[in-house]
Amino acid sequence: MSQSKKRKEVIRTVAEAVGRIEDGMTVAIGGFVADNHPMIMVREIIRKGLKDLTIVGSATAGLDIDLLIGAGCARKVIAPYVGLEKYCPIGHNFRKAAEAKEIEIWECSEYTLYAALFAGSAGQDFMSWRGGIGSSIPELNPDFREFTDPIGGKKKYLAIPALRPDVAIIHVGWSDPYGNGQHFGAPFGDRWIARASDRIILVAEHVVPNDLIRKNPFMTSVSYADDVVEAPYGAHPYAAHGSYREDLDHLQEYIAASEANRKGDTKTWEKYLDTYIREPEDHVAYLERIGLRKLLGLYVAPIVTW
Amino acid sequence: MSDYTWKEMMAVLFCREMEDGDRVTSGASTEIFFAATMLAQKTHAPNMKLQLGGTCFLCNVTDVEIDKLPATSSSYELLKYAETVHDHSETFLFYCPPGREKYYEDGSPYRDTNHFWFADKFFIGGIQADKFGNANLIGLGKPGDITFRGPGSVGINDVVNSVRDGYVFLTAHDKRRLVEKVDFVSYPGRKICKEVELLGNGPKWIVTPKAIFDFDPETDEARLKSVFPGVTIEDVKENTGFEVKTTDEVETVKEPTKEELDVLRGEVDRTGVLRQD
Repeated sequence: MSQSKKRKEVIRTVAEAVGRIEDGMTVAIGGFVADNHPMIMVREIIRKGLKDLTIVGSATAGLDIDLLIGAGCARKVIAPYVGLEKYCPIGHNFRKAAEAKEIEIWECSEYTLYAALFAGSAGQDFMSWRGGIGSSIPELNPDFREFTDPIGGKKKYLAIPALRPDVAIIHVGWSDPYGNGQHFGAPFGDRWIARASDRIILVAEHVVPNDLIRKNPFMTSVSYADDVVEAPYGAHPYAAHGSYREDLDHLQEYIAASEANRKGDTKTWEKYLDTYIREPEDHVAYLERIGLRKLLGLYVAPIVTW
Repeated sequence: MSDYTWKEMMAVLFCREMEDGDRVTSGASTEIFFAATMLAQKTHAPNMKLQLGGTCFLCNVTDVEIDKLPATSSSYELLKYAETVHDHSETFLFYCPPGREKYYEDGSPYRDTNHFWFADKFFIGGIQADKFGNANLIGLGKPGDITFRGPGSVGINDVVNSVRDGYVFLTAHDKRRLVEKVDFVSYPGRKICKEVELLGNGPKWIVTPKAIFDFDPETDEARLKSVFPGVTIEDVKENTGFEVKTTDEVETVKEPTKEELDVLRGEVDRTGVLRQD
């Protein structure tokens, strides 16, 4: 009996976590609009120059996936929305690449995406759904098939085929070394994205002892992730619920650079990528470029505790 | 000149539409609908069940102080008003109202249940809307050749399956946005809803900064119901890409009263977000 009784820890560096993602994989990114996107991983994917990815955005993806599109990592995009609401109603890189037909778009809506993930996580080949019937989505997405209620009705339904991403990347407030992550605020659709995916990478603001997770297992939103990357300000420039708000100044800089790119000014866009992604040697160097004064100013006091 | 912005007018208009027993989801069009729904709870609809934004918090602000309107539908600050949290994906799993179709009948006994069901009102944006109230967020062009890519359909065609009344809301009124026929349908209008037998009614109104359209119950076509103060019927006709039919009596929307603006500015939009035009 020489087997170790020690549990396996899954703490990785960001390079180790991205090292397991390959060109052509299907990668799902968590979060919602301006919050909880695992940006340290998004930047590392771009640094590594991964290509031909199928990017699955959250049900309301922000400009996290717009950045991946603009950096040339995406071949196909699965997302019912790409933008930042009033700040940027339509992602500029998304719009540019779609109009130039450089990316394939798997047209969907919020729940048709969730239904695909639900089918994937439940081992079903498809889920049925009424939403989308009567819209242009089935015409634009040939993977969705209309069928008639087989129970005896006459209503049309959509069969939404299962979606099983190779990897889900999810941002949490904290995680233990075994991959038990807890959100500090809204979980959005993150749990459904994680469950459908073959592997889960967590970006945690902090790694905490297992004891702390056990104090409230009700709060564990993603269990047994395969990799945990510890990264304070790992969602910057987006907000992380319970930790910091979005960096609107930086987002405005991003929006301006991506708009320039859409209008043909690739120099301004490349400068953005150089400054914030290619040149900083690591996450801390990136944060140094943002600046301590700015980062500390984004702090939010917790609204709920447990 | 009246001292209010069109955004304040919209918040007050939609607030007046809310009823005390309603179940409402504010949708993603952020500040105007955050303000309208929160204002309703603070005035005449303290029992309105409200899901604010995409955080999927069920919120009641009747007795809660609002310091400022949240800027995005994912904001952590929405948690200040929350009583319940669920996954965003679960939003779509409690869609069907009690009594199914009966819920939509006038005088339905199911309307006084205390549950939150995602059922009464929802607000829909668009890059185009047409005379049947179909709304488009997908883009302009045709399949295989989209020349202007829109943001995507979000959840609006999931919602139409069972939400009683949708409100198509456009932030500008011109012939590019109000068209004879949308290039793509994200949110089906009343005619399609009937044809494919969705539980929900589809759009009740199309609202723009100039006018409100309702729908002819026979043809399901839009007809001019009201204009906003200072707007003429001619002005609406000149700026609409489909033939504007009118109801017997086109009304002018009642301006916000002092009382409405006092609560809006003093208790809901204290930082004056809606006053920035």
